[in-house]
Amino acid sequence: MSYRASTLDGMPDDNEILVSAADLRKSYGDHEAVRGVDFEIRRGEAFGFLGANGAGKSTTMRMIGCVSQPTGGSLQVFGRDPHTQGAAIRARLGVVPQDNTLDGMLTVFENLVVYAGYFGIKKKAAREKAAELLEFVQLTPRAKDQVSDLSGGMQRRLAIARSLINDPELVILDEPTTGLDPQARHLVWERLFQLKHRGVSILLTTHYMDEAEQLCDRLVVMDEGRIIASGSPRELIDTHVTKEVVELRFGTAHTAELAALAHTLDGVGAQIEPLPDKILVYTDDADDTGAALEARDIRPSSVLARRATLEDVFLRLTGRALVEDEA
Amino acid sequence: MTTVLENGATAADRTAPGTLTGAWRAFTLQLALYRHVWHGTVFTSVLLPVLYMVSIGIGVGAYIDPAAVGGLTYAEFIAPGLICSVAVMMLGNDMVFPVHGGYQDWGGHYLAQRATPLSPVDILNGHLAYATVFRPFTNCTIVAVVLAFFGVYTGSWRAAFAVVAAALVSASLAPWLHFWASSIKNDSNLNMIFRFAVMPISLFSGVFFPASDMPAFLQPLVWASPLWHGTELARAATAGTAPALPPYVHIAYLAALAVTGWFAARWRIQKRLNF
Repeated sequence: MSYRASTLDGMPDDNEILVSAADLRKSYGDHEAVRGVDFEIRRGEAFGFLGANGAGKSTTMRMIGCVSQPTGGSLQVFGRDPHTQGAAIRARLGVVPQDNTLDGMLTVFENLVVYAGYFGIKKKAAREKAAELLEFVQLTPRAKDQVSDLSGGMQRRLAIARSLINDPELVILDEPTTGLDPQARHLVWERLFQLKHRGVSILLTTHYMDEAEQLCDRLVVMDEGRIIASGSPRELIDTHVTKEVVELRFGTAHTAELAALAHTLDGVGAQIEPLPDKILVYTDDADDTGAALEARDIRPSSVLARRATLEDVFLRLTGRALVEDEA
Repeated sequence: MTTVLENGATAADRTAPGTLTGAWRAFTLQLALYRHVWHGTVFTSVLLPVLYMVSIGIGVGAYIDPAAVGGLTYAEFIAPGLICSVAVMMLGNDMVFPVHGGYQDWGGHYLAQRATPLSPVDILNGHLAYATVFRPFTNCTIVAVVLAFFGVYTGSWRAAFAVVAAALVSASLAPWLHFWASSIKNDSNLNMIFRFAVMPISLFSGVFFPASDMPAFLQPLVWASPLWHGTELARAATAGTAPALPPYVHIAYLAALAVTGWFAARWRIQKRLNF
């Protein structure tokens, strides 16, 4: 089974740029949701937009999905202009919206076949493809059930299957695992990883750092409508934060007390970041930091050493934790 | 880069569908949904006209002097209005919650269609085709056939045009309902349409008594009502009576409402689906 469109000679061009944006902007009245972003997405890669709610990532995705017209800059998808060739571009995209937008009154199977009709796929081919995709997302036994009877995780998998009905060259996923329980999340990730492995280009937005780290080859971090960093997850971590982070908690000490305590930690790591409930010490060697704390007779109530993550990158770049910004 | 698809679609499918093709593709959703609810429409199409005929047409009709209703039996008088009223009732089902829900996270079918090659106008046309063509020509036809068993058609085969009149009523109202249901922000206000539009239209349209019997100050409401224009046309078809105005005036009024409504609905859906 292949989900990938191929070139006429049968060989995909992995260097082909599927999406390119230059100084891309979108305003709603006085509010500038996207403030001039530049990026390129290549065939076969998994590209992520990372940011808190309101960062502008969903607006950017809508422009790529050709349902929102940019108000400035330039955007090309598959080398075409979304303004004049939106329908032709959308015919080559797969979209998994955050709210699924499945038809609850229809069966699982009907959802796929009806959706296939929007792309002009003939009934017989649509039915075959639907059966194949239900197998892929492990929903074959539920084919005749109404969508409203499915769990949240199953509905999300069905939305992913639906997005593949037209053999898209690029699949756009908006917050693919938001609202799912951990088990359902892992199952969705596993299916997305399979897709990626089969060479389908993926574009996703997320505010889950672990999701971005697991799935994305490259990503951009957005904040207040701008791209503030870009690169592979590893590059971003290497560039913007140290290898390790030590989390220090001091009993019930909170914001102001922790800010004061942070001053006493100067020099135990590369950077000290007081948060409302803990202090983060960015360091290249957690053991050295532990030794430095002991030498100063600083005794936190708990110490957790871990490797730096994209969460830390975001925190360093914006001064805010993503989780705090979630609605 | 030219692409070869592996799912039966051709390269030609990867362009914007034409107006009719786009509307048809959007319409297929309504058709699929109808397959799940068609049995519910049996009540509207079969049982309701029977109940109206037995209780009002025959029951109340026994007390009505035919001279008061243009020389027809009362059952003959109300039959054409019933056919058109069913069309209005169906719009209440098809063009309020299903339209409003199309933009919401609890429905979202318009949002789903928008992510495909379909344009907002395709989506509008598909839904309107269902409400103004498919529904009247299936369900109103069933109503008309059921009423035939009551022997209420004094005209000949022309009675079939009553269904066309019902479709015209649908066409005149459906786009305006679409516009309204697309504009309303709060779900709880959706029922207003039944209180302030469907109900008055049903009352002031000469379905159950001649509209000319109403007080002069209410006559403008009668003239404004699409159901009155449709009922006049339908009665001319089923009973051979002369409509209140020349047929082309009734048709022109309904057509004008349909066209202006379509432009209003198009403007609104484009606003809603172009983010």
